[in-house]
Amino acid sequence: MFLIIQPKLSERMKSTDLCLSSEGTEVILATSSDEKYPPENIIDGSSETFWTTTGMFPQEFIINFHKCVKISKLTIQCYLVRSLRIEKSLSKDPVDFEECVEKDLQYTEGALQTEEFSLPEFQATYLRFIIKSAFDHFVSVHTVMAEGLVDNI
Amino acid sequence: CKCSHAGDSAVGKTALTQMFCSDGAHFQKNYTLTTGVELLVKTVSVPETSDSVELFIFDSAGKELFSEMMEKLWEQPNALCIIYDVTNEQSFSNCAKWLERLRARTLGMHLPGVLVGNKTDLIGRRAVEQKRAEEWAEIQGLQYCETSVKEMENVEVPFHILANSFHQLYREKVETFHSLV
Repeated sequence: MFLIIQPKLSERMKSTDLCLSSEGTEVILATSSDEKYPPENIIDGSSETFWTTTGMFPQEFIINFHKCVKISKLTIQCYLVRSLRIEKSLSKDPVDFEECVEKDLQYTEGALQTEEFSLPEFQATYLRFIIKSAFDHFVSVHTVMAEGLVDNI
Repeated sequence: CKCSHAGDSAVGKTALTQMFCSDGAHFQKNYTLTTGVELLVKTVSVPETSDSVELFIFDSAGKELFSEMMEKLWEQPNALCIIYDVTNEQSFSNCAKWLERLRARTLGMHLPGVLVGNKTDLIGRRAVEQKRAEEWAEIQGLQYCETSVKEMENVEVPFHILANSFHQLYREKVETFHSLV
């Protein structure tokens, strides 16, 4: 299914998940690369597939929307993440990141951590997720959702 | 895999690490840090898999290991390697102290670990019997091996033990990740 967002009508459009490879979004960097659990699994729209880190922290991944988007809510589903920092960039290239939010997550034995960040609406072309520390040697990231609108094309 | 090395001075920590890392490494990356601590990186392939484990081994003098400067470096280690000299009783009894200090930094996580008895070439001077060391290691949840860096015997063994254990932990964790959804 394709959702087509009209720029001028954006205020009236229902917001959508922008972190989907089907929307043209890409993961352009990830610091761990087990080919069986690639970072693309974060943006495939499924909680069942995941990206794994393969040892040591910090670990990070960068999401490229390939366009300017307006985000009002971020949700991450992961496991064993202790300290998470999210940064944004509005640049054409993945540089000049600024902090969005930093948080210590709760340990959730045997269940996914689902963390929602309701933020003042902000613009971004890139999002960078830094896993600073963890409750174990390894973590998994299952999905990232960014609710918002395409700002301009 | 961040690997903590500990043990008394002169037991052969540096010799063991150097011998292992310099022997046939394709991508040997050695960095001498300004702190007098050396970081050695070596990739070990895991048998019967297509995976390998990259070991980041920090080597420093025993007395420097827990200096204030090193504290930060040692947060969240992934594996422990404690080395003693089989001809030196004191270096063996100090292993308990090294283990305690290393485990204090692991935040309750399970860490693979190996106890290494070095200098087995000094046959007539052995002060710690293998059986005794093995028993202590087992109680502490450590694997055990003996090496002679001088004779180049078993120098790869402790590192392969750690790499395999770490890989096993990863596989178990991935199973857990699958079971979450």
